[in-house]
Amino acid sequence: MPSTDTMFPTRSSRVQSPSGVGFNSYLYQIRDLIYQIAGILQPDHRLEFLEKRCQKRMAVVGAGSLRDYYDFLTRSMNRTSELTELLNEITIGETFFFRNLPQIEALRKVVLPAVAENKRRFPFSRLRVWSAGCSTGEEAYTLAILFLEESEGMLKNLKLEVLATDLNDRSLEKARAGVYGDYATRNLSAYLQEKYFTPAGNLLAVKDTLKSIVQFSRVNLLDDSKMIFMKNMDVIFCCNVMIYFDGVARKKVVQHYYNNLLPKSYLFLGHSESLFGINDQFRLVHFPGATAYYKSEQARGGL
Amino acid sequence: MAILLADISRKISDLDNIPTVPALLVPLLRRLGEPAEKVSVAEIVTLISYDKSLTAQCLHMANSPLLGMRNRVETVQGAVMALGMTKVREVATTCCLLRALPARRGSLQPNDLWKHSLACAMVSREFARKVGFADPEQAYLAGLLHDLGLIVELTTFPKEFEAATHVAIAKRCPIHEAERLVLGVNHCVIGEMLAERWHLPSEMKEVIRHHHDVDHASTAAVLVSIVSLTDILCRMRGLGYGFEEVRQVDLSSEYAWKHIGEGLPKMRDFDLARFTLEIDAYIEEVERLVTTLFDLA
Repeated sequence: MPSTDTMFPTRSSRVQSPSGVGFNSYLYQIRDLIYQIAGILQPDHRLEFLEKRCQKRMAVVGAGSLRDYYDFLTRSMNRTSELTELLNEITIGETFFFRNLPQIEALRKVVLPAVAENKRRFPFSRLRVWSAGCSTGEEAYTLAILFLEESEGMLKNLKLEVLATDLNDRSLEKARAGVYGDYATRNLSAYLQEKYFTPAGNLLAVKDTLKSIVQFSRVNLLDDSKMIFMKNMDVIFCCNVMIYFDGVARKKVVQHYYNNLLPKSYLFLGHSESLFGINDQFRLVHFPGATAYYKSEQARGGL
Repeated sequence: MAILLADISRKISDLDNIPTVPALLVPLLRRLGEPAEKVSVAEIVTLISYDKSLTAQCLHMANSPLLGMRNRVETVQGAVMALGMTKVREVATTCCLLRALPARRGSLQPNDLWKHSLACAMVSREFARKVGFADPEQAYLAGLLHDLGLIVELTTFPKEFEAATHVAIAKRCPIHEAERLVLGVNHCVIGEMLAERWHLPSEMKEVIRHHHDVDHASTAAVLVSIVSLTDILCRMRGLGYGFEEVRQVDLSSEYAWKHIGEGLPKMRDFDLARFTLEIDAYIEEVERLVTTLFDLA
């Protein structure tokens, strides 16, 4: 078990990391600061990554050392906006359309038909999917494409909504712009490219039909005051976001997901993520090549 | 199209004479209940060596990265020295069982059934280790043999079985339910009949008979449960019968957890979602192994 010393080491000098590479003690202070303010934990194996991100920002603000940068983050007039900039650097992730195919197939073949069937009993129903930690929007637009492809089929007469949130302003900006290169669009068939995108030079720009059902907003998943408003979800996607949180924060976020989901709804996590030890209210269900967590009709009390 | 049990019984006695079943399989299976040390090494080595392609298969499998050998094994005798009798018996049983599959092609390809059996064997062993089951090697053999009944069906009732697979695909239901609808009997019952005839140890018989109705398992309930859950997991991770059966499974409702939870205290630390993911690591190795073993056969 790591002692408190290795998690939050003394600030005196350079500290040995487990790999034997020493990191500046101010890097640990910056790590603590990020954790205290945003709840995002940078484990030891990510310290090198954190150092690189800090260096990138140091060049921009003209800080000569990690110590100077730490002072800038804590004392300068621009400390709040600089912290946001740093968070943007840390949470940026590259992804692409139709990334996890078994998950998408499970959604298309099992989850959407089941959810739509439940809705059919009520007129003017709404189908709401939340892409939590949407990064640059590929997942959110993928969901929107799935919706629109079924809008005359099994999702007919339903109001379709994709809510997409992230902490990173720059990612959100890129998501709203909806312009993507080869990497992001490599899994898109020619048919879907033609139907939902317009060429913009070498890039592809998302058409308004797709944009109209996706709503992007900045949400910190640890901000209770915002989380309680993300209500009435039918499906939540939260892929590769939890890695940034520690145990306590994970429990909190997943509890919010549980509360915000309607009965008979699903939570999808990233390929290698598990709710083991985090939440036992959901039920793990298996699809061919994919898993999800199911919230049943009645919340189970206690057990 | 229902099949009469008497019919099955007659055909199962004929099965002993089928040349595709290696001479070694039945003696090997009969002795599964005995401790490996008691099995005569010389006898096994001689029996394996009689069959050139079986020898090649055994050596290939013995050298597979799955067994973690440092040095290459070149002879059956060498394999016994390096791997120990338990592993060699496991390898020989695995290879023999593969030979028992007919080359006939239907909806269920022999290749896929073989991959499924091998995957179930390996994943059952890992599952057994994870939850603290006393004998992981027994779990390997149980996983390997659980679908013995399907081999009988593919060999003796190919047309009827093919009809059952069509129902499974069309209704998207598990194959054992489709068999009941079409044949009036399923591979669990048929497998048990063969297991009976071959005098398999009682716990193997129980796995073969009850892996789809775990609540009826008795003395080997934990073993049956491990194989039963592994079977479902493998089928949901692309290591199934090569066609889509069900599209969603809620494993938490499986009766098997009761047996495992009661029998094994380590169960509390078991992360099913993570374990599911770990199964994917077997896919590539199983494919490679099966392809090569088939080529060597």
